[in-house]
Amino acid sequence: MAPPAQSQRSPSPSQPSGKSEVSDLKLQLRQLAGSRAPGVDDSKRELFKKVISYMTIGIDVSSLFGEMVMCSATSDIVLKKMCYLYVGNYAKVNPDLALLTINFLQRDCRDEDPMIRGLALRSLCSLRVANLVEYLVGPLGSGLKDSNSYVRMVAVMGVLKLYHISASTCIDADFPSILKHLMLHDSDTQVVANCLSALQEIWSAEASTSEEASREREALISKPFIYYLLNRIKEFCEWAQCLVLELVTKYVPSDSSEIFDIMNLLEDRLQHANGAVVLATIRVFLQLTLSMTDVHQQVYERIKAPLLTLVSSGSPEQSYAVLSHLHLLVMRAPYVFSSDYKHFYCQYNEPSYVKRLKLEMLTAVANESNTYEIVTELCEYAANVDIPIARESIRAVGKIALQQYDVNAIVDRLLQFLEMEKDYVTAEALVLVKDLLRKYPQWSHDCIAVVGNISSKNVQEPKAKAALIWMLGEYSQDMQDAPYVLGSLVENWDEEHSAEVRLHLLTAMMKCFFNRPPETQSALGAALAAGIADFHQDVHDRALFYYRILRYNVSVAERVVNPPKQAVSVFADTQSSEIKDRIFDEFNSLSVLYQKPSYMFTDKEHRGPLEFADELGNLSIGEAANNVVPTQMVEENDKDLLLTTSEKEETKGSRNNGSAYSVPYDGSSTSVFASQTQIESAVSNPTLAGHSPQASFAIDDLLGLGIPAAPAVLSPPQLKLNTKAALDPSTFQQKWRQLPVALSQEISVSPQGAAALTAPQALLRHMQSHSIHCIASGGQSPNFKFFFFAQKFEESSNYLVECVINTSSAKAQVKIKADDQNTSQDFSTLFESALSKFGTS
Amino acid sequence: MPVAASAIYFLNLRGDVLINRLYRDDVGGNMVDAFRMHIMQTKELGTCPVRQIGGCSFFYMRISNVYIVIVVSSNANVACAFKFVVEAVALFKSYFGGAFDEDAIRNNFVLIYELLDEIMDFGYPQNLSPEILKLYITQEGVRSPFSSKPSDKPVPNATLQVTGAVGWRREGLVYKKNEVFLDIVESVNLLMSSKGSVLRCDVTGKILMKCFLSGMPDLKLGLNDKIGLEKESQLKSRPPKSGKTIELDDVTFHQCVNLTRFNSEKTVSFVPPDGEFELMKYRITEGVNLPFRVLPTIKELGRTRMEVNVKVKSVFGAKMFALGVVIKIPVPKQTAKTSFQVTSGRAKYQAAIDCLVWKIRKFPGQTEPTLSAEVELISTMAEKKSWTRPPIQMEFQVPMFTASGLRVRFLKVWEKSGYNTVEWVRYITKAGSYEIRC
Repeated sequence: MAPPAQSQRSPSPSQPSGKSEVSDLKLQLRQLAGSRAPGVDDSKRELFKKVISYMTIGIDVSSLFGEMVMCSATSDIVLKKMCYLYVGNYAKVNPDLALLTINFLQRDCRDEDPMIRGLALRSLCSLRVANLVEYLVGPLGSGLKDSNSYVRMVAVMGVLKLYHISASTCIDADFPSILKHLMLHDSDTQVVANCLSALQEIWSAEASTSEEASREREALISKPFIYYLLNRIKEFCEWAQCLVLELVTKYVPSDSSEIFDIMNLLEDRLQHANGAVVLATIRVFLQLTLSMTDVHQQVYERIKAPLLTLVSSGSPEQSYAVLSHLHLLVMRAPYVFSSDYKHFYCQYNEPSYVKRLKLEMLTAVANESNTYEIVTELCEYAANVDIPIARESIRAVGKIALQQYDVNAIVDRLLQFLEMEKDYVTAEALVLVKDLLRKYPQWSHDCIAVVGNISSKNVQEPKAKAALIWMLGEYSQDMQDAPYVLGSLVENWDEEHSAEVRLHLLTAMMKCFFNRPPETQSALGAALAAGIADFHQDVHDRALFYYRILRYNVSVAERVVNPPKQAVSVFADTQSSEIKDRIFDEFNSLSVLYQKPSYMFTDKEHRGPLEFADELGNLSIGEAANNVVPTQMVEENDKDLLLTTSEKEETKGSRNNGSAYSVPYDGSSTSVFASQTQIESAVSNPTLAGHSPQASFAIDDLLGLGIPAAPAVLSPPQLKLNTKAALDPSTFQQKWRQLPVALSQEISVSPQGAAALTAPQALLRHMQSHSIHCIASGGQSPNFKFFFFAQKFEESSNYLVECVINTSSAKAQVKIKADDQNTSQDFSTLFESALSKFGTS
Repeated sequence: MPVAASAIYFLNLRGDVLINRLYRDDVGGNMVDAFRMHIMQTKELGTCPVRQIGGCSFFYMRISNVYIVIVVSSNANVACAFKFVVEAVALFKSYFGGAFDEDAIRNNFVLIYELLDEIMDFGYPQNLSPEILKLYITQEGVRSPFSSKPSDKPVPNATLQVTGAVGWRREGLVYKKNEVFLDIVESVNLLMSSKGSVLRCDVTGKILMKCFLSGMPDLKLGLNDKIGLEKESQLKSRPPKSGKTIELDDVTFHQCVNLTRFNSEKTVSFVPPDGEFELMKYRITEGVNLPFRVLPTIKELGRTRMEVNVKVKSVFGAKMFALGVVIKIPVPKQTAKTSFQVTSGRAKYQAAIDCLVWKIRKFPGQTEPTLSAEVELISTMAEKKSWTRPPIQMEFQVPMFTASGLRVRFLKVWEKSGYNTVEWVRYITKAGSYEIRC
């Protein structure tokens, strides 16, 4: 039955040479349009094919619209389909011409052949032209009542398309209730499934404005309806089964016997060949049993085998999708999987994204009984050709070492890594040994013997070098040549490009000095001198700090810089359990693959018109914050863990001055946001705009170093803003309606700023550091729209701003409304200065 | 909501668009450019099949010389999307007669557009069954099967088929000779340490069927798996037969298999689709019979010479033989010259993959051919980096052998007209990832 592969190769779409071909086609189409000669359909087909292939490669063939429509009067179904495809593609840009097609599409909707009826209806709804919706209602209405299920199936999706073009038309025609009727009574399961998808979308979107819709949405997860679907689940096609299972996860059974009934009913779905069905079923099981701890455990045991099968079958991409879910479960309950660790062994040819997940799982399931095997296996990977994976596996060994009590064997392995004499292995191992020593200081003798043999010249990576230097400083008492190694590093100060390494070098020199003063003194002097002359601000500051504290009192300095160490018992986790739970709630979706909850990545501003929903206001703020946190938090952990407590204070302070975002928090609502700013303002200087020059003046004065004071470029206006301002979106909306426009002006944005504005978040962060908060944002390049608000310091007087930025012209249109009209000019100056600095700092 | 796709693109390796189909307006039209710029033209390609760019997520898969890219803007169901692509490709292949590559797409792009319209509507997957779609989507199909005009091939009730309950089989099939072919295909995955201990070993198997049966037949398949046998002896209340029973770790079935009956009676019964399909898949980790043992000894003699000795032992029945055996023995990059001695087959050095490739076309059971080779290396100054030894990899096919020991005990066909059928059963074991560290 399959058509034989066409022997003649259709003219492969030659690369766009442009207009002459298109006008040529136009001519030919015109000639064929009226012809009724035999064989004309075949020549039309060839022409249509050409048109479609041009369209596919991106040549604009919209000028043929008229001719294509004229040629569409044919009984050839393939021709019709090509024509529909063409029309669907260009109707949106040619709304007037699209009107031409309505006629023939409507006629086809009444064709005696259900296939043609269905096709025409689908194309009619795919035109996506807002002013043509009136023509859709009639055909859709009769399509939904069609005797043929194929047409009904298409019509149901058509209703959903109509809803997305014009929601009001769809609601006014009362289509949702017709769909509901179909969903409950149609004999065809595909029609039912499509109704379900359509209604879920429509009612979810309507629920915020209409009570009825939200009631209907609730009714979808009511007991009778869920049971109706569950009892028919085997009749649905595999994709529709996913849909139904998805809905079942939202259902809350009344008691445990109901839960068991559902699980028994769905048990056999775990044997379905379609992995998506299996995953959806697993999700149902996990959600249903969340509150029943022991059953939940049994569910884990039950789903293990199907998951492992799915991982080992199918393409790498598919197994990656499943593996990510398995990964999530392993992280939640490692002990359940601890005997299955062999399944997580990597194969040599597996793609690295699969290997990476497997390494993490191996790390997680390691316990007393299997650690030896796992670590042995991981050591094999350390010699892997794939360097990133080799690094990951060394890190994994380290992680296992840090979570185990019996680390004897592992320490030996790590030390063997150091002797492998491969740059990257040495580098990773050094970092690990450092962490290990901080948790288990008792191993210092063994480690130091090996570390001492490593030449610092062979270590190039900043992180590893920093770790080595830290150990040299920390254990300078036990390492014979520590002062000399450090000393030679100081001599090559200028060749050291990483500020992190230089910072560590300063601290290590100090520690070394306290342990072995006579050998270090001269080198320390050189280090401090080099540090003070350093162009990097942090290095410069730290050197000065050490210098001054040494001059003040050496014993105080020792207490500050080199206090007795306490072993770190637990290293901070990078992801909060709250976030992990949210990911778990979104099982079987992208969240699991990205390892973050959906609100962090489903970008609302790409959805078209700006919305004022509460949700959006909170989301854009929460999102901005959360996007920053993970990386920064990790960095911060790393840094803080390396430093002693006193240093932590210092760096924290300095970093808080610079950025308003260094305190990690994971709030997604304005209330949390407010509390965060409180912390922040407690640490940092309240006059944000002008504080940094002042601060450095003070130091310079104290030291009398005579560095010429940089003149303050921008003197901040007198107006002070509240750093912890909070305003809920509804109040904002209300005020925006009530207040008159106090000021309206055009502000230029710096070109760098305009270039940096690819997504709104960057600007939101920037403005927030100037105490101007965003409540909603949207738009797409080049036009972005923002609503900001600010509050006067110690007064509850609000400023509301609407700001439309065009990135291509680097101009911003700003409308300001204020409670207190008198200060609106001051605020405007402040806003302008804040905005103009965006991208330049 | 498991929206599977907002748009779907087919690109060739250069990044030219072969097919683009936009299903929903929630993603922009320039998504291909984003994909090209941020994934294809960067090192990102191949590092992860799911990537986020801007507000959109891209899922991509490479199939022969084509990339299939799915774009979504919501929190989509990834497993569903990938499965959809795999199924769609299978569908296209069944239409094009096997091949799915750039040429096939260019030659059939109109057909692909037609199919894409049918198999997904507004981002929701619809019916993907080739059996059904072939009823009404044919390139020759100048008119559809429903038209009232007389057509030479009447297809009864096709629209019911489009969406009907027995979605995988149409009624009224007639064959002169009723035949069933059943293949058990197993692939063995092995990871063996250099000391010869098995680190990890499992078998993934599938049962492939080809049915040419008239009417609506009911089939019943009996295997020598443990659960099925136990259940049977329980039902017939007689002690289980002695002999090897196999413990299946996990089984999945084609949608035609009656799962309720499998769970209650442990028999596999089904109404098969017409033609070829995959009846079931299973996985076994216990009691795997490895068809080959590999015993390598690799000695590095100084900086410029290596001695490689590999002995491969076939441990299946002496009457059986393996076909297409390939053993890839890795050597360092700086290999200059090699010389071999093999007791069977042929060997050569392939510089492109840094391997000695030893091929044995026909490998009888219970034999142990050996390869001994001398490898000369170019001495380089960068001696610090010692050679990391990748594992030896092996490919093979052993007909009439199952690594799991699984056997078909019976295959019964029942149809109301009571015709006779001919059943053919074959077994084959292939190498999955068969790795031996050295």
